[in-house]
Amino acid sequence: MSASERPGKGLSRLLTLAILIAVFALAPAALYLAGRSYLYQVANLIMIFALLSASMHLVTGVAGLLQLGHAAFYGVGAYTAALLATRFGLPFPATMPLAGLAAALVAFLVALPTMRLVSIYFAVATLGIGQMLYLIMLNWVDVTKGPNGILLFNALRIFNFDASKPAIAYYVVAVVTVVSILVIHRLSHSYYGNALRALREDDQCAEAMGVETVRLKIQSFTISGFFAGVAGALWAHTAGYVSPADFSFTVSILILSMVVLGGLGSLPGAIVGAVILIGLPELLREFKAGDYRNLIIGLVLFSVILFLPRGLIGEASALDLMRRQFAGAWRRAPDRRGGMGWR
Amino acid sequence: MHTRRSLVILAGALALAAPAFAQQPTYRIGYQLPLTGNTAQYGQDFKNAAEIALERFGKAGKPFKVEIVFEDSRSDAKEGVAIARKFVDDKTIVGVLGDFTSGVSMAAAQVYKDAGMPQLSQTASHPDFVKISKWQFRNITTQAQEGPLNADWMWSQGYRKVAVIAEQSDWGQTVVSYFVDAFKAKGGQVTVSEMFNRGLADFRPIITKIARERPDAIYTGFFYEDGAQFLKQMKQLGATIPVHSTSAAYNQQLIALAGADADGMKLTATFLPNNPAANVQEFVSAWKARTNQEPGQFPAQAYDAVNIMLAALERAHPNVTRESLRDQLAATKEFPGVTGATTFDANREPAKQLMRAQVKGGVFAPIAN
Repeated sequence: MSASERPGKGLSRLLTLAILIAVFALAPAALYLAGRSYLYQVANLIMIFALLSASMHLVTGVAGLLQLGHAAFYGVGAYTAALLATRFGLPFPATMPLAGLAAALVAFLVALPTMRLVSIYFAVATLGIGQMLYLIMLNWVDVTKGPNGILLFNALRIFNFDASKPAIAYYVVAVVTVVSILVIHRLSHSYYGNALRALREDDQCAEAMGVETVRLKIQSFTISGFFAGVAGALWAHTAGYVSPADFSFTVSILILSMVVLGGLGSLPGAIVGAVILIGLPELLREFKAGDYRNLIIGLVLFSVILFLPRGLIGEASALDLMRRQFAGAWRRAPDRRGGMGWR
Repeated sequence: MHTRRSLVILAGALALAAPAFAQQPTYRIGYQLPLTGNTAQYGQDFKNAAEIALERFGKAGKPFKVEIVFEDSRSDAKEGVAIARKFVDDKTIVGVLGDFTSGVSMAAAQVYKDAGMPQLSQTASHPDFVKISKWQFRNITTQAQEGPLNADWMWSQGYRKVAVIAEQSDWGQTVVSYFVDAFKAKGGQVTVSEMFNRGLADFRPIITKIARERPDAIYTGFFYEDGAQFLKQMKQLGATIPVHSTSAAYNQQLIALAGADADGMKLTATFLPNNPAANVQEFVSAWKARTNQEPGQFPAQAYDAVNIMLAALERAHPNVTRESLRDQLAATKEFPGVTGATTFDANREPAKQLMRAQVKGGVFAPIAN
């Protein structure tokens, strides 16, 4: 998979080409032939969540920081896009980058104080931040309309062109997702990505080697927030309605499950995780699995963790990482500055 | 010999009857609702209510059959939109019922608006829901009707200073705004107006804050789970301020959970199971046979929503299309449901008769107007 490995370069090019052909030609052709807008909708959802899971992959998979509030940045992006579109009439090409920037800014601000926290303390802090942002969306009624949510009319408009037809919307989502994932791919398969991996494996060791751990963590957190915001804009403009319930804690856990299921540290894994966790429930709906739907999904998650602790195509074991995260919480910090949880 | 002949006759009769049966068309209706997840109890109630309505319709010997396709949305907007797309794709589905929450109903409504599919929700009370397009209908009275009525009622009991609390949801917002506007317009005073997040375990700080202002009464917007907590904690703190509530609090579970602490609470309701009207008793006994419980207001609303849809289908028969079904839904007038007579106005809002009730000795007792 990795483009930086010399021997695999030809193969990796071929694979990229195959994926591009699949996303931009084969899938739309198959969807067109099936003639069901439902399948377009599922495809869009899969791509939006693939982007979310890819953006979380950068922080949780590569840099090894357990993130429990990712849905909040997704929400900040969605709300920014929805508000810009309804209050100022901005079209999608303008709201999308602004939504990304707004989410990145929020991610940067919350990263400043939290990035000095280690392991499980960091995870709990992101959980708190996620809940805070969720409660702001729910209770800041003057701006976000609170639980009423925001309704977008003519949601997917690209300047004067109405792109809301399912087939066109698919291409819009596909282009944005593919470009974003390419950027994330370049970031995570580079010296920069390897520095982040060093953080995941042993941040004290990395720091001793001269890697600026805190700065790297803040950067990766901000970039991850940016792409979550872009995904939020995609959701706001394709669904046409946003409300706080779409960005609750359970959604954060859903995204985390995608990253873990696919395999920590693997970008293709994150995408496969999204395909499975969005696609499988809908597939089971087709087969009329009824109430067993959730049970089967739980079983899939459980079996993967049990039998494939590295996920489907992962490079780091989620269980090992968790064990270290928890152990780290009780280990005395070696520089003896902080004591528990602070570095 | 005898048997063989009768078999031949039977076969002949079947052959004759077959085309008659084949000609009887089947119309399909989609129902999106939460059958699993946090709000599954409501979705399961709707499904039971719909099946009772359908069974009754099947026995009535109509010239066509109706089939309802249930899809589980888990009260999740992602799934709700996907289901909406699925229903729209299926050309045999002519109308849709649901969803439960306003959020999911509205996200799905965007799809129904573009595709031209009539959508009737039994519970979506968001003020903007029916404004999305001409395809959206609802079978729930909104606070625009209930708020002013309660303001009148409380005013007529001599209350001049009232505290208001409601859950933090799109619905809770309307509970507060419509009541407060109407009550202030009469010259009344609202001492405290508090929102709480659903599932709050401890209401005591709010109750203490309210009691400090010594209001004449409290107007509340909650569902039974929160309502029971609130009423119990009122008693624990010894607060004796009269409580008024909305039709959403009407649920047998409220009394089951709060016990005697619920006594004295007054509320408006569209449905009371002890209403002696024949259609209400028919529904109540069918519901009891199925679930061993008394039906609450939501199942009753779902039952009526399904029946309103079936009645519209009957008027549109034999030319049933999504367009004609929508027009027939819009033409619903004085539909005799278990939640009172329902008429859709020009904005596809239902006008219903609201009843007044009070909890007395463990039952919701109607109060004569």
